[in-house]
Amino acid sequence: MNLVENIKMAIDSIMSNKMRSFLTMLGIIIGISSVISIVSLGVGGQNTITGEFEKIGVSTIRISVKTTEAETSDYITYKDIEQLKEKIDYIKYATPIKYQTGVASSEKKSKTAMVYGTNEDMIHIDNTEILYGRFFNRIEFEEGRAVAVIDETAARSFFGTSDAVGQTLNIGSSTSKKKATIVGVTKSQFEMFQNMADEEELPVVVYMPATFLDILYSKDSRISELYIMANSKENTEAAGILAKNMLMNRHGNRDRDVYKAENLMKQLDQINTVLGIFTAFIAAVAAISLLVGGVGVMNIMLVSVTERTREIGIRKAIGAKTSNIMFQFLTESVIISCIGGIIGLILGIAGAYLLGQLAGITPSVTPQIVIVSIAFSSAVGIFFGIYPARKAAKLDPIEALRYE
Amino acid sequence: MIKLENVKKVYTTGEISLTALKGISMEIKPGEFVSIMGPSGCGKSTLMNIMGCLDRMTSGKYTLNGRDISGLSDNELAEIRCREIGFVFQSFNLLPRMTVLENVELPMVYAGIPRKERRERALAALEKVDLGNRIRHRPNEISGGQKQRVAIARAIVNNPSIILADEPTGNLDTKVTKEIMKIIQKLNDDGTTVVLVTHEPDVAQYSKRIIHMLDGEIIDDKLVNDRKIF
Ligand SMILES: Nc1ncnc2c1ncn2[C@@H]1O[C@H](COP(=O)(O)OP(=O)(O)OP(=O)(O)O)[C@@H](O)[C@H]1O
Ligand SMILES: [Mg+2]
Repeated sequence: MNLVENIKMAIDSIMSNKMRSFLTMLGIIIGISSVISIVSLGVGGQNTITGEFEKIGVSTIRISVKTTEAETSDYITYKDIEQLKEKIDYIKYATPIKYQTGVASSEKKSKTAMVYGTNEDMIHIDNTEILYGRFFNRIEFEEGRAVAVIDETAARSFFGTSDAVGQTLNIGSSTSKKKATIVGVTKSQFEMFQNMADEEELPVVVYMPATFLDILYSKDSRISELYIMANSKENTEAAGILAKNMLMNRHGNRDRDVYKAENLMKQLDQINTVLGIFTAFIAAVAAISLLVGGVGVMNIMLVSVTERTREIGIRKAIGAKTSNIMFQFLTESVIISCIGGIIGLILGIAGAYLLGQLAGITPSVTPQIVIVSIAFSSAVGIFFGIYPARKAAKLDPIEALRYE
Repeated sequence: MIKLENVKKVYTTGEISLTALKGISMEIKPGEFVSIMGPSGCGKSTLMNIMGCLDRMTSGKYTLNGRDISGLSDNELAEIRCREIGFVFQSFNLLPRMTVLENVELPMVYAGIPRKERRERALAALEKVDLGNRIRHRPNEISGGQKQRVAIARAIVNNPSIILADEPTGNLDTKVTKEIMKIIQKLNDDGTTVVLVTHEPDVAQYSKRIIHMLDGEIIDDKLVNDRKIF
């Protein structure tokens, strides 16, 4: 009794009761499709976040002042940053990061702005592409000139064109604003988030010399956050330690631990771990529905065995062995589960892409996911099919033949 | 070929036990055509099922083609049913979802015969029972007589040495009964041993030997003198 014959019989039987077969598969379909979409979105999300981090650079370290513990004298100065770059060979770029929310407006439009004050090194650390013009330079930074760099999306919404170089933007708080000249337009960042919301609703990101930001918002020149980029990935940790050391020396606060150095890649690992656990957890919950689906398969197979008692008797009378009957029913439950699994796989992938589109995540559908899901649904079919199949196989031929 | 020695069958349902066969001894030789007759409930079907290795006897000895059946496993019995015995039932017992051709092919599936040969042999068997033209129909699309022909074709397709027919004409009218008996007689002429259960003396007259049973015992066993031959 060969496999082909068994499969043919199983398909005949499944086709002879299409609605019931479909309903039986539904549990498997729902189980597999939700596991697939969750896992592929989870992995896709990890990839996206990793990608965003890698844009910032794998060798970047963020040094911050613990503002709750710091005294005025502990804050980092522009001079500190120059010295860090000059004295520590491992440090290739270093920039202060100052941040303000404010308002930016052109003649056409006014929008909430996330204003970043940095120096000219920011473009290297941020690793974004300049589409038009250039990033602001050393002189503009030193002199605190009123220049700004915005991204393409912002340029389009303010000026109706991507090439906004030379245009003027009014930037500041709602009460006081200053004119700044756009010297460059970068490629839009954070595409991941931009897809999630209406472009118009998102705040624009504006880069300007930190020195200009100080003037614009009447702030002192204290810096609480800076980014450094090492000359190589291997030297990143060392660069961080050296930088922290040098800052402590310069501020004479060795006794107090007020500076924090964070490797951004380490943070990435943490985020990915959390995301991985989260994905696994939801997938596990979804997998429970797969078990429920399996119980559904078992239930229908038991009904089917009872309904086909006479058929089993006839088959035995004409020479079917116990194993023949066993395999016939097992094949049937495996095929039901497998078809369910395949439909679930297709729906799951489709669902992942659909949801991914909304969330701006490209789902990661790997061959492993496909193989594992098919294998898993077969396993469900075998596991939940064995009991009904054994029940069928063990029927006494005479009693089965007498069954009405 | 078939040798029964003091075969007993006791059915136990809960507290009550019923002796359906009270020690049957008989012998059937190759090429015989035996009718078993007797009132309802006398144990004819029980005897047939034991001879066909579908059911196990309670005690006694059954030798089929020189082989002692009593100690065999379920799988060995299935093997015997597959290759050495052909069953024909009163209620046809065809599988409703399969076509005529598929029904006839099924015993060969269990015998492990390759597809192509199955097709050829099934068609040949259907030819023998004069049913070469309705092979794509399903059992509910053909008449009772035609169903029984299919069942006979299915019974002979693995070339068994014995055909066991339990009231094969019980559901058929006189005309069709004759046609079926003609086929069975032809099979016997070709060398197959036939054992047939029937209530109708007319039908029994087509066989060569008649065994009468009563209450689980053989009360009469004689050859047919004026046998009807087609
Ligand atoms: N599975 C069973 N359990 C209990 N008793 C049974 C069983 N099968 C048959 N019997 C009993 O055994 C006796 C013989 O039954 P059997 O079916 O062999 O009779 P039969 O001669 O074939 O009758 P009929 O002509 O009506 O077919 C009957 O009394 C019947 O009630
Ligand atoms: Mg009977």
